[in-house]
Amino acid sequence: MFEIGKKGTPEAGPRPESSPARTEPSPSRSSAPVSRDAAVIGPSIHIDGDVRGEEDLLIEGEVSGTVQLKNNSLTIGPQGKVIADVYAHSIYVDGYLEGDLYGSERVNIRKSAQVKGNVTSPRVSVEDGAKFKGAIEMDPQAAQNVVGSRMSAQRSAAPQQTAPKPIVQPAKPEQPAVAKTGAAS
Amino acid sequence: MAVDARRLSNGPPAAAKPSSAPEGLSAPLFHSLIQRLHSGGRWVVLDLGAVRSATIRAFGGFRCRLEFVELADGLDALNGEIDPRRIRQGADALLPPRRSEPIDVVLCWDLLNYLNQPALTAVMECIASRCKRGALAHGLIYYSAKAMPERPSTFVPVDDQRIQQHVTPGRERPAPRYSPEDLARCMPRYTVERGRLLRNGMQEFLFKL
Repeated sequence: MFEIGKKGTPEAGPRPESSPARTEPSPSRSSAPVSRDAAVIGPSIHIDGDVRGEEDLLIEGEVSGTVQLKNNSLTIGPQGKVIADVYAHSIYVDGYLEGDLYGSERVNIRKSAQVKGNVTSPRVSVEDGAKFKGAIEMDPQAAQNVVGSRMSAQRSAAPQQTAPKPIVQPAKPEQPAVAKTGAAS
Repeated sequence: MAVDARRLSNGPPAAAKPSSAPEGLSAPLFHSLIQRLHSGGRWVVLDLGAVRSATIRAFGGFRCRLEFVELADGLDALNGEIDPRRIRQGADALLPPRRSEPIDVVLCWDLLNYLNQPALTAVMECIASRCKRGALAHGLIYYSAKAMPERPSTFVPVDDQRIQQHVTPGRERPAPRYSPEDLARCMPRYTVERGRLLRNGMQEFLFKL
């Protein structure tokens, strides 16, 4: 399991004040809102296993397993390939995702995305042009119930205070993955 | 255009429609279907077409689970197979898995026209096995026109009474012009609840299981 940026640990150190993702938006790049503090899994990184964290995360590499960011947003960038069930506060998909998405706040599937899986969230948006095969739970009550129970189950399954060092690239300005993420909102 | 189902479902449909939006095609049986959803309760809706923001918007105001399969991707394989058992296997693989909560509504749009009769039988049988008794299927059949676009069109709800056809550019091909008798033979578990001839020459059907 990979822990991302536990607060108060050196791994969660400050990110550069100005990142290209914030300052050089481009229409051809991902337009999902990526925080300047977001951790980045770069295009050359492959992770097999569980990814958990307490900061926003941008995936431009490949992840297989599960991804859980209960209070933060996850962006799967245009180069990202995720084969995993994903649990996050907000989920933005520009790339490829195979698995179920649980967003406690929202799920946004952009036109460049390819998604095969089910989406459960109180707020779901899908842009025309996106490739999507699966189901969207649009019953607010059912969405709340499912997301709540899934999040709880994931939390209880998480080991306590055994955070290994992260295998996640920090968002350095010179890093290609960050430069390719484009506009931040 | 991205459409947030939850947000827009609170406002009137017209508010979300761009001022330049096309008129759309009046579809009384689609309207009838939406009216039934207004009766309340939870619904499971299977859309055989591609995901479209307008479809999400149209169903965003209901307590429903919306499933998309984009059946057009598998048409060639289904129509190219002659062994009924393998057609059935292919259709099963394209459709979502059977769940404890069966399907209430199927949106076929114009896809039935693009299935030959053995494939039509297999697909609709596989869908029926995922539906609850009394489920409804909405379909559009080329009736007057002898030709139809080479590939299925995209249909999106304009509001709860009209749908818009976006034709895929390209050549045309002969339309099978399935008659109600053809449909009854290929879809024995479905009965035609109502049929209406639309302004564009297509026959709109509401089937019931």
